[in-house]
Amino acid sequence: MTFKQKINDSPIDFAIEIINDVKNSKDEGVLKCVQCGMCTSTCPAAHHSDYNPRDIIEKVLAGDESIISEENIWNCFYCYTCHSVCPVGNSVCEVNQILKQIAIAKEIGYDKLYEYLGFADSYFTAAIGAIPERFFPDIGQDVPGWWNFRQNLEEIRNELELDSLMPSKEVIDEVSKILTITGFKSKIERIRASEEVEK
Amino acid sequence: MRDDLKVGVFLCECGGNIADTVDLNKVREELDVEFIGQFENLCSLNGCKIIRDAIFDIGLDRVVVAACSPISHEKTFQDYIKPLNPYLMDMANIREQCSWVHSDKEKATDKAIALINASIEKVKQSDAVDPIYCQTPTETAVIGGGIAGMNAALSLAKQGTKVTLIEQSPSIGGHMAKIGKVFSPVKIAEECGMCLLNPILNELVWNENIDVLTNTKVIEAKRRAGTYNLILEKSPRYVDTEKCIACGKCAEVCEVEVPNDWNDNLSMHKAIYRPFGQSYPESYVIDMDNCIKCGNCVKECSMRAINLREKEERIPLQVGSVIVATGHKLYDMEKRPEYGYTLFRDVITQSELGRIIGVNGPTKGKLLRSNGKVPKRVVMIQCVGSRDEKPDGHKYCSKICCTVALKNANIIKHKHPDTDVLICYTDVRTPGMFEKYYKHIQENGVRFLRGRPGEVVKKGGNLIVRTEDTLKGEFIEIEADLVVLSTAMEPSEGTKEIAEILNLGTTEDGFIKESHPKIKPVATDVQGIYVCGTAHEPKDITDSIMQATAAASKVSEYNHGGVEIEPFIAQIDTDKCAVCGECINRCKYKSMSIQNDEIYIDPMSCTGCGKCLVGCSQHAITVNGNIDEKIFATMKGILSKKKDGERVILVFLDNIGYAAADNIGVNRLSYPESIHIIKVISVNRVRPRHIRYALENGADGVFIGEFPGDLMYDEVELKIQGVKDRLEELGEDPNRLTFSKVYIPYFSGLARKFNEFDAKIAKLDETE
Amino acid sequence: MKDLPTEDILLFRSCLVSVEYPGVEASTKFVFDTLGVDYAISEKQTCCTGLGHYSDVFNQIDTSAIGARNFKIAKEMGRPNLVMMCATCYAINKKSVKLLNKKDRLRNHINKLFEENGLAHLKYEKNDLKPTENIFHVVDILYAKKDVIKKHIKYDLSDFTIATHHGCHYCKVHYEDTIGGVRNPNIMDELIEECGCKTIGWYDHKRATCGTGFRQRYSNPDLSFTATADKMNAIEDEDVDILVHLCPNCHIQFDRYQDLISKREGRNFKAIHLNIAQFIALAMGGDFDKVIGVKAHTVPIDSVIKELKEVKK
Repeated sequence: MTFKQKINDSPIDFAIEIINDVKNSKDEGVLKCVQCGMCTSTCPAAHHSDYNPRDIIEKVLAGDESIISEENIWNCFYCYTCHSVCPVGNSVCEVNQILKQIAIAKEIGYDKLYEYLGFADSYFTAAIGAIPERFFPDIGQDVPGWWNFRQNLEEIRNELELDSLMPSKEVIDEVSKILTITGFKSKIERIRASEEVEK
Repeated sequence: MRDDLKVGVFLCECGGNIADTVDLNKVREELDVEFIGQFENLCSLNGCKIIRDAIFDIGLDRVVVAACSPISHEKTFQDYIKPLNPYLMDMANIREQCSWVHSDKEKATDKAIALINASIEKVKQSDAVDPIYCQTPTETAVIGGGIAGMNAALSLAKQGTKVTLIEQSPSIGGHMAKIGKVFSPVKIAEECGMCLLNPILNELVWNENIDVLTNTKVIEAKRRAGTYNLILEKSPRYVDTEKCIACGKCAEVCEVEVPNDWNDNLSMHKAIYRPFGQSYPESYVIDMDNCIKCGNCVKECSMRAINLREKEERIPLQVGSVIVATGHKLYDMEKRPEYGYTLFRDVITQSELGRIIGVNGPTKGKLLRSNGKVPKRVVMIQCVGSRDEKPDGHKYCSKICCTVALKNANIIKHKHPDTDVLICYTDVRTPGMFEKYYKHIQENGVRFLRGRPGEVVKKGGNLIVRTEDTLKGEFIEIEADLVVLSTAMEPSEGTKEIAEILNLGTTEDGFIKESHPKIKPVATDVQGIYVCGTAHEPKDITDSIMQATAAASKVSEYNHGGVEIEPFIAQIDTDKCAVCGECINRCKYKSMSIQNDEIYIDPMSCTGCGKCLVGCSQHAITVNGNIDEKIFATMKGILSKKKDGERVILVFLDNIGYAAADNIGVNRLSYPESIHIIKVISVNRVRPRHIRYALENGADGVFIGEFPGDLMYDEVELKIQGVKDRLEELGEDPNRLTFSKVYIPYFSGLARKFNEFDAKIAKLDETE
Repeated sequence: MKDLPTEDILLFRSCLVSVEYPGVEASTKFVFDTLGVDYAISEKQTCCTGLGHYSDVFNQIDTSAIGARNFKIAKEMGRPNLVMMCATCYAINKKSVKLLNKKDRLRNHINKLFEENGLAHLKYEKNDLKPTENIFHVVDILYAKKDVIKKHIKYDLSDFTIATHHGCHYCKVHYEDTIGGVRNPNIMDELIEECGCKTIGWYDHKRATCGTGFRQRYSNPDLSFTATADKMNAIEDEDVDILVHLCPNCHIQFDRYQDLISKREGRNFKAIHLNIAQFIALAMGGDFDKVIGVKAHTVPIDSVIKELKEVKK
C-alpha cells in the first residue's frame, strides 16, 4: 500500500501539540526519538501485551492521530521506566497520558473512565481519592479478610492513635469549589451523562 | 574632540546565530553613528570589502564590529580595518555574550544595543598603538605517552625540537598497546596493533631530542614571559631503569599477586612486574601498594637494580609550549548496573574482549568464558554510556565503538565460525571506507539486531538479554553465554587534572576544548598549549595520529613565528626614571629588571595591571592605551542605554574570565540579561573610582572576577574589600559589589554565580 | 548530594495509607519522634489526586490546582517541607511544583481562577516552593538521619532474608532527584543496613513496577497480576522473607494479592510486606498493634516474624 504525503501535510503538528501540552515536562524530547527501543526493552506492558511504547512515538512523529483511538494505549502502567531510561530525554509515559487526555477531550475515551468516576465523587464528598465502591465486590473476593478489615478500620486507626479521616466541611467545600472552577466537575457530569445514555 | 570622531558600526548576522535572536533593525535605529553596515558573515572576504569600502568612502576614524567574541575574530577584523591602526577597532560581543545566552528577543536586542554603544564610547577613547612581537623558548613538553603523545613528540623531535615526553604510568604505549588487533578499512583486514606500535616506540626511544619520563606527572604549571615552568612529580619505580636488564628473576621469587591492570584485571602479575612485553623503559617496576617488602627480589637481582627505599622526586621543567595528549578512560559500568557487569563474570567490555582475544592476553588469544569454554552465542550491546543523556551518561557518540564491535565480532567469527555473534545497535556508524568493512563483517555471518537492550539478567546457566527488536516491533529475550558491552570513551582523570593545572577550557563533557572547533582544531584557549588524541574528544588511532602531527606542526609555527603581544603594557620614561627599583619590588609578575642601568620591562610577562604606576614617585611609568578613560567610556556607553526598571550589572573580567564567560555561550547555558561583561586587560585596572562611578550612574551591581592563579589575585581581593568598606562609609550598600573566583573550565559555575548575583541584586532593588 | 531537611516538615497524609495501611503513618511518626524529626500533620491538607490522576480522571490543571492549595497550607504553617509517605503523592506534588514554577501559562491560569472565585488566598507565586528543596519522601528524611538510626535499634532482624521494592513513582518520575539512584535503586537497602541487616541487594526485576499500574489492577487484572508475578517469582527465587516497600500502592499489590497470585502461579509465595517506616519502627521496638498496625496486613506478619531477638549490646 502506498501512503501519500501531500505537499501541505504537516505530520509534525501532532508532536508539537503534545509538546505544548502543559503536562509535558520533557520540552522537545519527543522530537529527538531515534526509535532505539529502550522503552520497549524495559516496559512491563510491552512484555505482556501488544502495547509498544516505541511504536507510539513512531505514530506520533508520523502525525498519525488514529493512535488516540487505539485500545493498546490504555495498557500503560504509568511506571515511568521508559521515562527514567530514555537516552534522548523523551517520556513515552507522559506522551501516553497526554494522548489519553486528548482522547477524553474528544470524548473518545469516555468509556474508559466510567469505572473510575468514584475517584472524582469522593473528592466532592470527602476531599479524598477513595477506591471506587464498584470495585469492592471484586476486592472482597480476591483479598481474603479485606472486607472485614475495612469494617474495623476505625478501630484499628484508634488503636494507632491516628486522627479522624474526615476533613471539615470548609475543607471539602473549598476543594469542591476548586474542582468546579477548573471545569473538572462539569467534565465528570458529561462523562456520567454519556454513561447513562450507553446504559 | 574625541566626540567628533567618525565611528562606523558593522553588524554581523552570523548566519542567523545573532540575527535570529537580536533584532538588528531595531539595533540600527538605536545607534547614533556616522555609518552602519550589516552583513550575514562579516568575517568573510565580502565582509572585509564592506568594512574597507566604508572606511575609505566615509573616512571613518574608528570602527566597532558587533559580532562574535574577540577571542574568535579580533585578529581577523584588526586586519580588515587596514589602513586603520588595529587598536582603533573594538568588538561588541553580541554572540557568545548575548544571542547565545539569552532567548528573550526583546531583552537580547536591548542588551546588544547597550553592548554596541559601550564599544562605540570605548573606541572613541582608543589611540593608535603598535603590537609587540616576542620569541618564546622552543623546548616543548608533551604530556601523555599514548599513540597521540608519542607521534607528536616524534614529529617535533624530527624537526629539531627538544621534547620531554611525560607519562604517568610505568610505560609509554597507552591504550593502543593493549588493544590487540587493529584494522584498516581499506585493507578490510585486522592487523597486529603491537607490530604497528613498536616501530614508533623504537624510533622514539632512540631519538636524541626526546627525553621520556615515565611514572611522572605534571603537578604545577606557571607561565611567565612565554615560558611555562612546570613542576613534575616522578613517583619511585624502585627499580633502576639503567641497571635493570628485564630478566624477570625478581618476579619469579615475588610471592605477591596483583590483578594485572594491563590485562583489564583478567589475569594476575606479581608485585614486581613488567607492565607488558614490549613496555618502555625496558625495566621492571614495583607496585608498592601491594609489596610486602619481603626483600626476595632485592636478594635475587644480580644487577642490584632494586631499591625499596627510593623516594619520589620533583623535577622542574622549562618549556615554551605544551602538547596535551592525556587521553581517555572507559565508562564506569557501575553507572549502568542493569547490564549486570558487576554481577556476572561473563558480561565483559570490548576492552576486556580485546585482551581475551589478544595473543599476548590472559588466555593467549583463546576466546574463553569464565568457565573455560568457548561461548555459543556472544551478544554485543552498543552505546553503553554513549548517546545517553540520563544522569552519568554521555550525550555524545563515542565514535569508535561501532567499528570496534565489528572488528572484535569478525575476529570471533574467524576463530569460531560456529559461535553466533549478534550486535544490538541503534545505528551502525561506519562512515567513509568503514562501510566496506561493515559489509564484509555481514558477509562473514555476524548478525545485527536493531534495538537498545534494557537489561541483562541470569536465568539458569545463561545470561538473558532483554531487548526490543525494533525492526520487528517485538520484545525478545535472547539467551547468550557471553555479553560484551561497547562502553563509552570519557576524558581520563589525567585529562581532567591537566585541564585544571594548565587552566584549559573544557567542554561540558570534560574533554579539552579546542579554541575553535572548525578552524583551530588543535589550539586550546591558552596560547602555546595544544591538544591532540582522545583528550580532545573520542577518536580512533588514525585521527589521533593526524591531530598529533597537526599539533606538532602548530608548535613549530609558534616556535618560528613568535608571539604577538597586545601593546597595553607599562612603559618607562627613562628621562624621568631615577632607577629607584620600587617598581621592581611592586611588580608581582617580575617583569621589571635593571639592565644596562635602566629599568627594563619584559613585554611577555607585563600584564599592564598598573601596580607599578601607582608606586612610581617620579611618575616615570605609563601604561599604553588610555585605559582608565576607556573603562569610564565603556560604562557610560552601557549605562546611558539603561531603561526604567531595567537591572544592569557590570562585570569586569580579564582575558581568562572573559574566555570562561564565552564558554557559557559556547555551551549554550544562560544567565540574566542584566549581566554586561566588560573586558579589561587586568582587573586591577578597575579602580575604586570606576566602581563608584558605576554605582552612582545607574549600575545596580558590579561583579569583578579574577582567576585565583593570577599573581595579583590576593591584592585585588584586598582592594575590593577596601572599596566595599568605603562604600559602606558612604552609605552605599557594599553588597552591590562582589568579587569572585573565575576558572576557564568552570564556566557553568560562572553562569551560576551570575544568576545568583543577579537574584541578590534583584532582592536589594526590591527592598530599597 | 542535595540538602535534606529534618525540621519545618509537613507530614503529608496519604489516602491509601489512611485507609489501607494506617500503621505506616503511625510507624513514620514513631520513627520520626525517635529520631527527633520536627514535623506536623495538617487537617486542612487533602489528598494529592494521584489515584484519580493516574486513572486519567483528573487532568493536570485539576491536580495542580489542588496541589497549589496544599502548598499554600504548608507555607502558611511555616512548614514548607512536604514529606510524603506515598510514592505517588511524592511524584504528583513534585511535578506540580515544577510545572507551577516553570509554566507561566498554567500558574497564571490557576491563579486567575482562584482570584475570580474568591479563592485569592490560595494563589501560588512562582518559586513559592522548590521541587528539589521542598518536596521529599519519608525515606529522604530517614536518610538524613541515617547515622542516628543505629543507636535506637532494639531488635535484630538480620536473620531474615530481606529485599527492597522501591516504588516507581519515588525513583523514576523525578530520577534526577532520587537518592540512591534509579537504575539500581538502593536508598532503602542503605537504610536497612543501618538497622544492622543486610539485604539481598540486586535481584531480577528489582527496579520493575509492582504491577498495580493504576487502572490495570481493576480493568486489566490479567496484565497487572502477570507483571506482579514476574517480580514475586524473582523474589521467591531469592527466598525472601521480608519485602520492604516505600509506597502503599505497591504494598497493596503485594500484600493483598499475594494469595491470589500464588494460586495463579501455582507457587507458594511466602514473603511478608512491610513499609520501610514499619520495618525501622519494628527494629526500634514499636508495638505490633499500636505502632506497626499489623491488623491491616493481609499476609500475617507473624507468619515470618515469630519472635524478636534483642540486639546484643
